[in-house]
Amino acid sequence: MEIAKEMDLYQKLAILTDAAKYDVACTSSGVERKGSGKGMGNCAAAGICHSFSADGRCISLLKILFTNECVFDCRYCINRSSNDIQRASFTPDEVCTLTMEFYRRNYIEGLFLSSGILKNPTYTMELLYQTLYKLRYECRFEGYIHVKAIPGANKELIARTGFLADRMSVNLELPTAEGLKKLAPHKTRKRILTPMRQVQLMTRQNKNELALFSHAPQFVPAGQSTQMIIGATPENDYQILSVAESLYQKFELKRVFYSAFVQVNEDALLPSLPGGPPLLREHRLYQADWLLRFYGFKAQELLSESHPNFNVFLDPKCDWALSHLDQYPVEVNTADYYTLLRVPGIGPKSAQRIVRARRLGSLDYPALKKAGVVLKRAVYFITCGGRQMYPLKIEEDFILRNLLYSKSKAPSETVTYRQLSLFDDGQMFGEVPQELLQAGV
Amino acid sequence: MVIFYCDGSVDGIFTAVYDAWASRLGHENVALRIGGQMNYELFAEYRKTGTDAGKAQKVARSVRRKMGLDAYQTIYQAALSKEPERADCIYRVLVRGMSASVTPYEARNVIWNLQNTDVCRLFELSRKTGNEAHRYLQFVRFRELENGVLFSEIQAENQVLPLVGDHFADRFPNEDFMIYDIGHNDCLIHGRQRPWFILRDTEPEKEVTGRSSEREAMMQQLWRGFCQSIAIEERKNLRLQQQFWPLKFRKWMTENPQEKDDGKCQKKDGGKYLDENCHLC
Repeated sequence: MEIAKEMDLYQKLAILTDAAKYDVACTSSGVERKGSGKGMGNCAAAGICHSFSADGRCISLLKILFTNECVFDCRYCINRSSNDIQRASFTPDEVCTLTMEFYRRNYIEGLFLSSGILKNPTYTMELLYQTLYKLRYECRFEGYIHVKAIPGANKELIARTGFLADRMSVNLELPTAEGLKKLAPHKTRKRILTPMRQVQLMTRQNKNELALFSHAPQFVPAGQSTQMIIGATPENDYQILSVAESLYQKFELKRVFYSAFVQVNEDALLPSLPGGPPLLREHRLYQADWLLRFYGFKAQELLSESHPNFNVFLDPKCDWALSHLDQYPVEVNTADYYTLLRVPGIGPKSAQRIVRARRLGSLDYPALKKAGVVLKRAVYFITCGGRQMYPLKIEEDFILRNLLYSKSKAPSETVTYRQLSLFDDGQMFGEVPQELLQAGV
Repeated sequence: MVIFYCDGSVDGIFTAVYDAWASRLGHENVALRIGGQMNYELFAEYRKTGTDAGKAQKVARSVRRKMGLDAYQTIYQAALSKEPERADCIYRVLVRGMSASVTPYEARNVIWNLQNTDVCRLFELSRKTGNEAHRYLQFVRFRELENGVLFSEIQAENQVLPLVGDHFADRFPNEDFMIYDIGHNDCLIHGRQRPWFILRDTEPEKEVTGRSSEREAMMQQLWRGFCQSIAIEERKNLRLQQQFWPLKFRKWMTENPQEKDDGKCQKKDGGKYLDENCHLC
C-alpha cells in the first residue's frame, strides 16, 4: 500500500494544471484598468498573451484548478470521481504566492481559477472566494482574474466573488440538454443557466449603479463567458451555432468558447475519435462565431436545417459569399461599411481603414493591399473605381476552384476566353483536384 | 538638393524637421537622412543638425495641436523605427499635414490618407514598431536579482523601450525593475514609486545581473513545469506555436523549449549537459 506523502508545490502545480488544461478560455481581454499605484497590476483591454504552449494555444493566465477532487462523475471529464488519478488541492496562500510571483516576472496576465466540486458547490465556491479575497486585499493584486461560478452554489457567494473577479464563467458543457443528461448525470441545464442569469442581471444592475456613482465597485467588468464541448454528442454545427447565438442575445455573454472533444476517458457513451479531436470543426465554429460578433451575420444566414454543417474546404464567410453571388461585386469606393464587411478578405480593421481613407480621395488596388485587404480572396468580389483587378468571371465554380487552387496568392493573370474547338472535353481550368472530386464539389 | 542629417533619436529627427523647414529652401529641395544609416549622394549639399530638445518640443507640440494626438502617436512610433527612411518619411507627411494651405479637417485626417505613398510608408513603420513593442509586453521575462531588482534582457530591432515603459511602470509601481535592450545598448530603469527613464549607451554590470536571488531558480522551474503541463498532447501543433511565438524572441525567455531543463540537468560552461543519461538532454 502506498501512503500519500505531502506533495511539494511543483507536483501540485503539475497535477492541477494538467487537470485544468481542457478548459479553453484563456483570454485576458475585456477590461482596461490602470493600476492604483498601491498594489501590483493593471489590465489591458485587448488582452496580452504571454506565452504559447506546444499545442499553439496561448498562455495568458495562470490556469489552474483549486482542487481536482470532485464529487461529480461526468463522463467526458478527466477529474470525474470514478477515475483513479492523483488528487491534490492548493491552499489559498499557495495560489496567492504563485500568482504574485509569476505576475511579477511578467509570466502571466492574471489568474484563471476553476475547481472540482469538493464536498458541495457552496463549500467549493467559498474556497474560491477566500482565495480571491486574499489575493485582492492582502496581496493587493490588481491584475486580471477569471473565476468559475459553480452551479448550485449559494447566490450570495457568487455575487461577492463577482465583485472580486474580472470575468466569470459557467460552463454549458454540452450544447443540448439531452447531451448533458446523458454524459453529465449530476448536472442539469437549469442548474447551469441559473448562475449565468444571475451574473447577467447583476452586471446590468451594476451598470446602472456605475452610471450614478462612478466609483461604485465593479461587478464582473469583463463580462461572462462559457464553453461547449464539440464532438462528444451528435449535435450538428447549426444547432451549436444557434445555441451560441441565443447565448449572446439572451444572456449577453462576452464569449462562447468551443472545445474540440479530447478523449481522456474510456467510456461506452463517448464517441471514439480515431482521427484525433475534431480541430477543423472547432476552427470553423470559431470563424462563424467571429462572423456573429463582429460582422453582423446571423446563424440562420450561415447554416440552415437543410445545410446543417460547415464546408470543410471553405471558411464560412467565403461559403456564404459564394452562395450569394448576386450581391457581388461590391464597389469599394462607395459601398457602406457593413457591405464591405461581408466581402471575403476584408475584416473590421481594413473596412474601417477603407472608410476613413476614401474620404480623402478614391482608392486603387495597391492602396487596398496596403490597407490590409487580402486580395487573393477579395479580388473576386470587389470592383475599384468600377473595374475589376483582372477580368474575372463572377461564377461559383470558377471562384471556388481558384480560391482552393491559389492557396498563397491572387491569380496574376487568368484566361477567361479561348478558341473554341470541336474536339475537347470542355475543361477550361485544368484538372479538378482529387480532393474536390471526392468531396463531390 | 540639401540633405539634413541627424542622429537616429526622436528628438534628433524632430530637430532636423525643424531645421529643414526653417531653412526656407522649399520642401522639394530638402531631404532628411539619418547619420550612419545613409549613403552620400554626388550632387547634394550636406548639413548636420544637432539634437535640440527645444526645437524638437516645438515640432511635437505643433503636430499634436494641428494633426491631433492619434497622428502624433503614429509619427512618434514611426520615428522609433529602425528603417533609415523614417526621417524623410515623417518630413513628407508633416509637409502634407502642417503647411499653411491645409485645412484643419485635412490636417487631422492626413494620416488616414493611405493612398499616399509617404503616409502609407509612415503607417507601416509605425505599425511595425507598435507590433514589436506589443510583442515585448508579452515576452519580457524578469528575473529577480540578489538585490531584489527585477531584471530583463531583450534584443529589439526597433527602439521599443519608450513604448513599453508606461505599461510596466503602471503595472509594477512598487518594484525596482530594469529592462536592458542589447540591440541598442539602452536601459529602461524604474525605481519604486518613481517615474521611469531610459539610459542610453549603458550596459548593466554583468557581475550584478549574473546573481539571481535564492527563490528565483524555484520560480523558474515552477513556470517551466506549468508551461509543459498546460499543453494538450492530442492537439500538439508546434508550427502554430512558432507562428505566434517566433524563435527570435525565445532566446531571453525562461520557458524556452529549446533549452531543455527539468531542474535535474545542469549546464556546463561549454553548453554541454553533465548528465549524459538524462532523456531530456
